[in-house]
Amino acid sequence: MNNLYLAAVINTTFRYTTPVLFAALGSLACTKCAVFNVALEGQMLAASFVAIVANYYTHNAFISLLAGVAAGAFVAWIVAVFQIKWKVRDMVVGTAMNLLVQSVTAFLMQAIFGSRGTVQGFGMVPLTKINLSFLKFSPFLYRMFEDLSTIDYLGYIVAVLIFIYFYKTVSGFHLLSVGINADAADSLGIKSQRIQIWAMVFSGILCGFGGVVHAMGNVTVFAENMTSGRGFIAMGAASMAQSHPLGAIASSLFFGTALSLSKTLQGYINSYFTEAIPYLCTVLAITIYGVVISTQRRKATIKM
Amino acid sequence: MLVEMKQITKTYGPLVANNKLDLSLNKGEILAVVGENGAGKSTLMKILYGLETCDSGEILIDGKPVRFRSPHDAIANGIGMVQQHFMLFPTFTAAENIVYGHEPKKELIFFDRKDAASQVQALCKQYGMYIQPDIKVADCPVGLQQRIEILKVLYQGVNIIIFDEPSAVLTPQEVSELLKTLKELKNAGKSIILITHKLSEVMEVADRIMVMRLGQLIKTMKKEDTNIEELSFLMVGHKLETREIQKIEQGDAVLQVEHLTLSGTGTKNILDDISIHVRHGEIVGIAGVSGNGQSELIQCLTGIKKFDSGKVIINNTDVSNRSVQENRDSGCACVPEDRYFWGTASDATLLENSIMAHYHKKHMMRYGVLNRKNIKKFTNDMLAEFDVRYTSDKQAGKELSGGNVQKLIVAREISQHSPFLVAAEPTRGIDIGAIDFIHGKLLDKRNSGDGILLVSSELSEIFALSDRIYVMYEGRIAGEFSRAEATRDKVGLIMMGGKLNG
Amino acid sequence: MDELKKKRLFDSAASPLIAILAALAVGAIVMLLTGTNPLYAYKEMFTKSFFKPYYLAETLVRSAPIMLSGVAAATVWRAGYINLGMQGQMCVGGLVAAVMAIYLPVHSLWGTALCILGGMAAATLIALIPTYLDYKFNASLIITTLMLNYAINHITNYFVAYPMRDTAGDGMAQQSVQIEQSLRFFRFSNKNAMNTSVFIAILVVILMYFVFTKTKFGYESKITGLNKNFANYGGIKSMKTMFQTMALSGALSGFAACIEIFGVRYRYVNSMFSSTGYAWTGLMAMLIAGYNPLLTLVYSIFLAGLNIGGTALQRTVGVPMQIADIIQCCITLFISVNFLYEFNKKRSGKCRKKVGKRWETGGVA
Repeated sequence: MNNLYLAAVINTTFRYTTPVLFAALGSLACTKCAVFNVALEGQMLAASFVAIVANYYTHNAFISLLAGVAAGAFVAWIVAVFQIKWKVRDMVVGTAMNLLVQSVTAFLMQAIFGSRGTVQGFGMVPLTKINLSFLKFSPFLYRMFEDLSTIDYLGYIVAVLIFIYFYKTVSGFHLLSVGINADAADSLGIKSQRIQIWAMVFSGILCGFGGVVHAMGNVTVFAENMTSGRGFIAMGAASMAQSHPLGAIASSLFFGTALSLSKTLQGYINSYFTEAIPYLCTVLAITIYGVVISTQRRKATIKM
Repeated sequence: MLVEMKQITKTYGPLVANNKLDLSLNKGEILAVVGENGAGKSTLMKILYGLETCDSGEILIDGKPVRFRSPHDAIANGIGMVQQHFMLFPTFTAAENIVYGHEPKKELIFFDRKDAASQVQALCKQYGMYIQPDIKVADCPVGLQQRIEILKVLYQGVNIIIFDEPSAVLTPQEVSELLKTLKELKNAGKSIILITHKLSEVMEVADRIMVMRLGQLIKTMKKEDTNIEELSFLMVGHKLETREIQKIEQGDAVLQVEHLTLSGTGTKNILDDISIHVRHGEIVGIAGVSGNGQSELIQCLTGIKKFDSGKVIINNTDVSNRSVQENRDSGCACVPEDRYFWGTASDATLLENSIMAHYHKKHMMRYGVLNRKNIKKFTNDMLAEFDVRYTSDKQAGKELSGGNVQKLIVAREISQHSPFLVAAEPTRGIDIGAIDFIHGKLLDKRNSGDGILLVSSELSEIFALSDRIYVMYEGRIAGEFSRAEATRDKVGLIMMGGKLNG
Repeated sequence: MDELKKKRLFDSAASPLIAILAALAVGAIVMLLTGTNPLYAYKEMFTKSFFKPYYLAETLVRSAPIMLSGVAAATVWRAGYINLGMQGQMCVGGLVAAVMAIYLPVHSLWGTALCILGGMAAATLIALIPTYLDYKFNASLIITTLMLNYAINHITNYFVAYPMRDTAGDGMAQQSVQIEQSLRFFRFSNKNAMNTSVFIAILVVILMYFVFTKTKFGYESKITGLNKNFANYGGIKSMKTMFQTMALSGALSGFAACIEIFGVRYRYVNSMFSSTGYAWTGLMAMLIAGYNPLLTLVYSIFLAGLNIGGTALQRTVGVPMQIADIIQCCITLFISVNFLYEFNKKRSGKCRKKVGKRWETGGVA
């Protein structure tokens, strides 16, 4: 295995990390104000699909991005109304919404493109790629960051911004407070429901970015149910990060690695097994995380 | 006249919580609103603070009519409230809690925590109530939390402060601190409404007293014109009878706890070397301010929580760290401290709620299949015997009133006819009739020769029923008294960590 | 009293009806947008699902795995735990049963029974893995069960792609060889897929109704779902309930898969349980039914009919068959709100004390 190959693997890892990172940030934004967002998957898928449709008609990556993000936000808003305003159980809304988006996208795909399975080509444009020419001195580094889109970099910036928002701003302070004690927030004139709804919509926007990158970051393509569990992987990433935005970068990179391994290992292991890697990794990771947490707790009790 | 409430009426379905109430508050005075639980005091204050809206009536501030849709409106009009359940964020610091909702900002969006801390310090100085701005609320004792709550209300810049049962969760020492604070606030020009049912406090600080009973205004008077006896007569509506406790022979120990220890996450043990016993035919009270390990003790005794070391022997069976089922099989029943958290499932039917821990008995179940006919008979007989008001045994638990749910739980546990019963807060927050009924049933059980461990944060309940009293303080048994030697003063002193001389 | 009963009966009948009508309206709008006459489409859809013998038979056959996986989900959900892994459990159950049927020298009825038991056992074991991880390591059941669906689907597909692949004919299809004649469920005619397994499925669902409402297990799991603390306090071990319900759920899912294999397909086909979405349709059916097995049965048949009708619609009118799934999800969403609406009405009429949350016990980690 030569060096450049490794660089290529790292490059793939970055690509696969972005959607998971965005969705994980969306998930933790909800968790922080005591809302459990199960519909991440549906929000991403809707964004992917709408972005591709917009791309098909406009051939403009930016408009596609906006359309995709809007779609993610719209789905999130519906979920928010059901879950927060009408107090429907999160699992029920989330599951039904994921399935609904899955079937609506499959339906519209046939209605618009007349095809089943995948949509590709039609002169659709990918997201703008950035190549860091100042890295040319090292082929390894250059390859590592080759052809990443702006959104790939944006993910890490957003994570830092969310961190600042949570812990440095007044509005972020209110959001966190709703997660700790919504009744107290209400009694002090902070409308907790409104904050929760906005957090959900915000998570829809983030998932929207994730979905758009997923569909247009590399090959511009939409496939039926193409997010295939990434929303839930992101949920795992967020919970491993203990809902800390910077921690989410680390855990998302881990899942990005698992996803990229499932592609790069295909030359060595039967693809049926490599395809299962990211999912098994998720199960393994949240299990190990559970072990670590419980031993930490045990240590804490022994210390005294 | 600073505040006037006129002809306030509020109903919840068939229940009239406030019936044409009038209230007036002058500047710089302390008005005490007294009444039993369920008299409608809290509802009236919630209306004034914008948490509830009234069906009819009006509120005037400085003679101008106002309408509050939310606490926000009330605060804007200079009314603040220190609620009974503190509205605090435990993981935030004291300063963050105090400035909440009116945070000092820099560059429009950022939270200036430094400025917040210095403002809080200035506020502390102004009112002489000191607190460390960067201490986490979760690390504060209850008295300090209440101080944070008061500072928070002051920070909002209000002139009128409502205190809802402020002394309910405090130790006697903290109570006297609080009363001092109230007087200082009054001297600083604030007007105060104090809701309470503790008359000694009222006589100490109040200027005027308003007595309520069952949603009605009974009388408003000056403190000088009245006394505790008259007030208690007005509150209750009849002379309180004290129950005679029959003397009976006490047998062997039915509960024996030896050196029970439960460690916590910090450096201190939650339960520390607890040794107690309860004999047949005896009610043993555990007094203490809530949060001193009583909940954990109950959970360890009933098998819900596992403890680190020690022994629990119930009815001559060692059940230390055994399952709940084994505990119950050996002869332990339990009225849990929170009727909704532990005691019932609100969405389950009365049938389902009533047969908990009964359903695997022979006449109700065979080969894993439940016998509906016998279950129905058992439930209806039991609910009738304990005077639970219900319309159908298929009703959901949440459709009953709090008192009736509590009666159901007591009925269920007494029907176990177990030699030992843990009764935790058996009458918290229910009406006098139901309290009386439940007390009677507990005494009947004792008189029939069973042992009862009564855990209550209400001293009057402990004194009304107990043959012997243990006092818990910070996870330890800090004192033990027989009925004859126990006095409120002695028990109260131990409850707040003091020591008896000699 | 009587009035109350009448009103409850009315409510319980009216709210699903309203939800179904509203969902059909949404479906109609979607169809209008794609330029189809919804009235014609619905007529087509319902005739070709319930009102013609061939299609009715197809609907009933399709409903069998749906109702079983729906009841499988209900078993766990009503106990307050979340199993999203019925699909993976079906894959494993189906594959193991197919392997046993193909490679073991088993014949006739006893052979079928043995294979089904094997499949159910395998599905149970697979269901217990995430359960154990949740119990021991606190790994969220929601995530692990869902992740295993994908992993298991890929891995089971490997078997029919390589070692078990049927190479007869052109050998293009990724599927196993057929199981032998004597192991199959009895078909009533050659014209449609109707077979005895459907009746067995219905019997099992009715049995589950009995288990839910009349047994100790049903009582304990229901109480655990409503208030775990109350259950613990009364001596019910909630962890034991989790294992019991997950095991039963796995067994039912495995059974659902076997019904499909021994009654309809006679072989294991690539992605046969993920592309058909039985598990998810079942989940929707049981959510609409509010965990009640008998209603799950009714709604399973209804949703199966929508699916069959949807497929027919795609063939004749050209409307994508996902219209059925869209309607099905909308029903679930609308029903969920309606439940709450009633609940709110009831509550607002009564004395409602807003008790401040005691944050010592509350709060989100």
